[in-house]
Amino acid sequence: MTPASLQGGGPEPTARAAVVSVAAPARSRLMFQSQTSRRLAFGYLLLAPAALYVLLLVGAPFLFSLYLAVSDANVGEPVAKFIGLENFRSAWEMDTFWIAFRNSIVFLVVAAIFKSLLGTSLAFLLLQEFPGKKLIRGLVVIPFTLPIAISVLAWKWMYDSQFSVINWVLSRLGLIGQYGTDSWPIWLGDPRLALLACIAVNVWRTFPFSAIVLLAGFTSVPLEVLDAAKVDGCSFFQRFRHVVAPMIFPILMIGFLFDTVFTLSDLSVVYLLTQGGPANASKILPVLAYQIGIQAGNLGRGAAIALFLVPLLAPLMFLFLRNLKRREY
Amino acid sequence: MTDPQPATPAPSTLNRRKFLATAGAGVAASSLMTMLDARQAPAQIKGTTLRILQWSHFIPAYDTWFDSKLTKEWGDQNGVKIRVDHIPHLELPARMAAEYAAGAGHDIIMNGSSILTRLYYKSLADLSDIYDASGKKHGGWIPTAKSLVEAEGRYYGIPLFYILLPMTYRKDLFDANNLKAPDTWELARVAARTLKPKGHPTGIQFSQCADANLNWRSILFGFGGAELDPSGENVLIDSRETREALKFAKALFDEGMTAEVFSWDDASDNRYLASGIACWVHDAISAYRTTEDTNPDVFKNTVVAMEPAGPGGKRVNTCAANVWMVWKFSKNQQAAKEFLTHMIDTASEGMTASRGYNMPYLNGLAKKPMPVIGTDPKLQILQDFPPIVAFYGYPGPFITPIQEVVNLFVVPDMFTRVARGQSVEDVMKWGMGEYRRIFAKHKRA
Amino acid sequence: MATAMTLRQKERRRHLLIYAGLTPFVFMAVFPIYWMLITAFKQDPDLYRMDNIPFWFNMAPTLKHFKILFFQTNYGAWIVNTMTIAAWVAVITLVTAVPAGYALARLRLPAAENIGIAVFMTYLVPPIILFLPLSRVVAMLGLQDEWWALVVVYPTFTIPFGTWLLMGFFKTVPMEMEEAARVDGCGYLGAFLRVVLPVSLPGVLTAVIFAFTLSMQDFLYGLAFVAPGDQKPVPVGVPTELIRGDVYYWGSLMGAALLVGLPVAVLYNFFLDRFIQGITGGVGK
Repeated sequence: MTPASLQGGGPEPTARAAVVSVAAPARSRLMFQSQTSRRLAFGYLLLAPAALYVLLLVGAPFLFSLYLAVSDANVGEPVAKFIGLENFRSAWEMDTFWIAFRNSIVFLVVAAIFKSLLGTSLAFLLLQEFPGKKLIRGLVVIPFTLPIAISVLAWKWMYDSQFSVINWVLSRLGLIGQYGTDSWPIWLGDPRLALLACIAVNVWRTFPFSAIVLLAGFTSVPLEVLDAAKVDGCSFFQRFRHVVAPMIFPILMIGFLFDTVFTLSDLSVVYLLTQGGPANASKILPVLAYQIGIQAGNLGRGAAIALFLVPLLAPLMFLFLRNLKRREY
Repeated sequence: MTDPQPATPAPSTLNRRKFLATAGAGVAASSLMTMLDARQAPAQIKGTTLRILQWSHFIPAYDTWFDSKLTKEWGDQNGVKIRVDHIPHLELPARMAAEYAAGAGHDIIMNGSSILTRLYYKSLADLSDIYDASGKKHGGWIPTAKSLVEAEGRYYGIPLFYILLPMTYRKDLFDANNLKAPDTWELARVAARTLKPKGHPTGIQFSQCADANLNWRSILFGFGGAELDPSGENVLIDSRETREALKFAKALFDEGMTAEVFSWDDASDNRYLASGIACWVHDAISAYRTTEDTNPDVFKNTVVAMEPAGPGGKRVNTCAANVWMVWKFSKNQQAAKEFLTHMIDTASEGMTASRGYNMPYLNGLAKKPMPVIGTDPKLQILQDFPPIVAFYGYPGPFITPIQEVVNLFVVPDMFTRVARGQSVEDVMKWGMGEYRRIFAKHKRA
Repeated sequence: MATAMTLRQKERRRHLLIYAGLTPFVFMAVFPIYWMLITAFKQDPDLYRMDNIPFWFNMAPTLKHFKILFFQTNYGAWIVNTMTIAAWVAVITLVTAVPAGYALARLRLPAAENIGIAVFMTYLVPPIILFLPLSRVVAMLGLQDEWWALVVVYPTFTIPFGTWLLMGFFKTVPMEMEEAARVDGCGYLGAFLRVVLPVSLPGVLTAVIFAFTLSMQDFLYGLAFVAPGDQKPVPVGVPTELIRGDVYYWGSLMGAALLVGLPVAVLYNFFLDRFIQGITGGVGK
């Protein structure tokens, strides 16, 4: 990847370089002003491709989905009418909706806790030097690289009520009873276990992701800063708290936030494992939205359910991110 | 706007030969029988393309027959290039929604399990002409066919085949324990009760999956219960018969099943049978075929039987329907309709290709002996199923709110709650509440 | 002599502690993979017996599932599609997110803050709703049922993350380095290309890896936009042809996942090395 390949704009950069060389002699405010405008022009130009892409392909569809949520759109009627917050009201009236809502929150929180713990510990361990490090690193990232549609299916079999490998091992170890007894857990069939089983798969899949982001963060802390701290006599933990943590905080937070939104809108794990059962014990909002919006064709209600968390999360995220951006160090 | 009726002059052999010669198609290799059966298609579809979307049939050989033989031969004969795409059947609704939103996609699209014809009918082509013509030609459609595809007096889809979920049991286990064949649900329950302590319980899915929607309705309807009245206006779930069915399910679970059934999906009962554990299952013959392929010892003792009767002697088998539709935005509706007619005409060949899985909706095609199941001694009983077949909403029509009831697994949830210990009355109240809420929402819209 | 031995002992003990710490992680990550590997080679009757040991072969291993995979399905085409799509998406992500990340991190653009946040907010809209209007976009572009449709659509979820990730990385580059470069007459572009980028290479590579992996995960968009058998990527093709009705071809399913996932994991490992090298080589001056 060479700099040349990044010059998407053709004539612009060379023109700018020419302008720079002409303006080289330092002068007064005029120079400063044109520098600012140059900076701004450069900046917006750099930002433009990404912003345009996202605005056109996500922003516009997002507005469309808002329109769906406040209309009676369904696949049977090519023309939809505006009905205000009616879809949201029907959603509130369903107990299944509140069950799904609660499950989504539980899923998010429990998964986040486990992922942070596991991801951080793993990142730390991988920072160390030891023989076989490369091999171990390669092994632990595999869950993340397998296509989710298939790895979740593998877990489906691993949780199977008859053939579960997990139960096979646990029962051989004497931790649970034999097949057919009450202490043989039916992972996907027991309302108390189903959601946890789904969370476990989500954690298994994505804790390598957390570890890598953290690892990348750790390794990007400039060595000289770390060395300076070491010279100053800081212990490992002090170094971590006062030097490393603040520097990697932005990266950590980004990773955490993205993982949150990915988890909240992730359909695959629950859909493939339990479809939301047994009796809605593991139903989460995206699955419910999919079943109502797509499988039953009621686009308006499906959109309302899918977008339900947006007004709650959006302000929180907004504040959080503004705070993050303000950190300069 | 209805499509013009294609002109069909009585084809003389001379005309056909001339047509084929001018079409320049290399039909020499095609089977003579198919040629003679085929209607002579009008020349205006020559040179066009036809795109079909359907599921991956559980018998791979059927897809091979469909993709490489049926479509190819018809396509060559009529100068139409046909492309067949497959996606998993449970995802067809998503793809259908995408094509609807895009206003573009395939010409012919299929639904299996979730039949959304009545939902999408305003965007589908009117197929009444084919429906009526095929009905006349093949001895009439079975009663349940109509409600799948009818909207405002016209027909917007062609039900091509349905899938039975018969009783399949282990004769050796029954014989060894002096058990009578499970001809009634009560006998099935006794068998499970006797065989569970011996390590051979039974299982029906108490979970949110397609088979659960079908199996529990078979028991419900067999006990005399009903979902809608024939007009489709009234929900009839709240009845003495439904309560009987729920009580029966609870007893069946307690006596003859283990808690694993709460985690089951569509394939679990296949595995249960193939592993040798199940004393009986109520499942499509995919279970039978899976056992044939993976456990020959168990297979030789596995028997397919008639649908068990409820206490009143009623037998009802709720089946999975498969419907083919044509999009209104299709640019080749003519060829699509011609091809659909051809599919109906060759349905028997399709049944053979599917090893007996595809059951026909047309009476004329259900005459005995039927392909595969007519000749296989172990499957002959399936030929007696057509009169007792039912669909969602029975005995009423399969209307849109019923589709939502199905998608939200209300009926399986009712049975699951009872099995888990909730009182029949509470479950009944909950279930009726769900039905009422869903129907009210659809009336509001 | 005594000091040297203690040092080595200390080293060894440290290693042992680390291995002990890593064991549960490796076990958790790898146990399902190992099981999948064995299943890919197991005969079906072997799999369907409850008393059989799941972790080894009770009947002779077989290559049948792989034969089915390669000769009876379009697996070869799917792999090519998946990799090609992922590569293109990685390129697009790179070309859009790297400049955007830098602009947001360093160029003090007004309103950039809000633009950045808006870009992030797009993740709150679930794909299950987005795929409908995107369907229309894809059809309008004439890309329906071609894998190019996915190349156009996947960046919608890789660009926001890439941008923010890179923003984080660019922020760790000391301001002084950039300013020095600009004073030397590089200008903004020069400073970016010649100083900031090389130093942030690890971050850029991380973003590339993530874009690549994320685009290998998707199922919904692939399902909605690509129906023809030979145009599908692996995550869509595999369930289509290896799950028929209620019959799962477990052996082939597992084989399919592993053949795609393992090489990518190896690739990952390779990249992770590169950026560690990059760091120790570049920054510590």
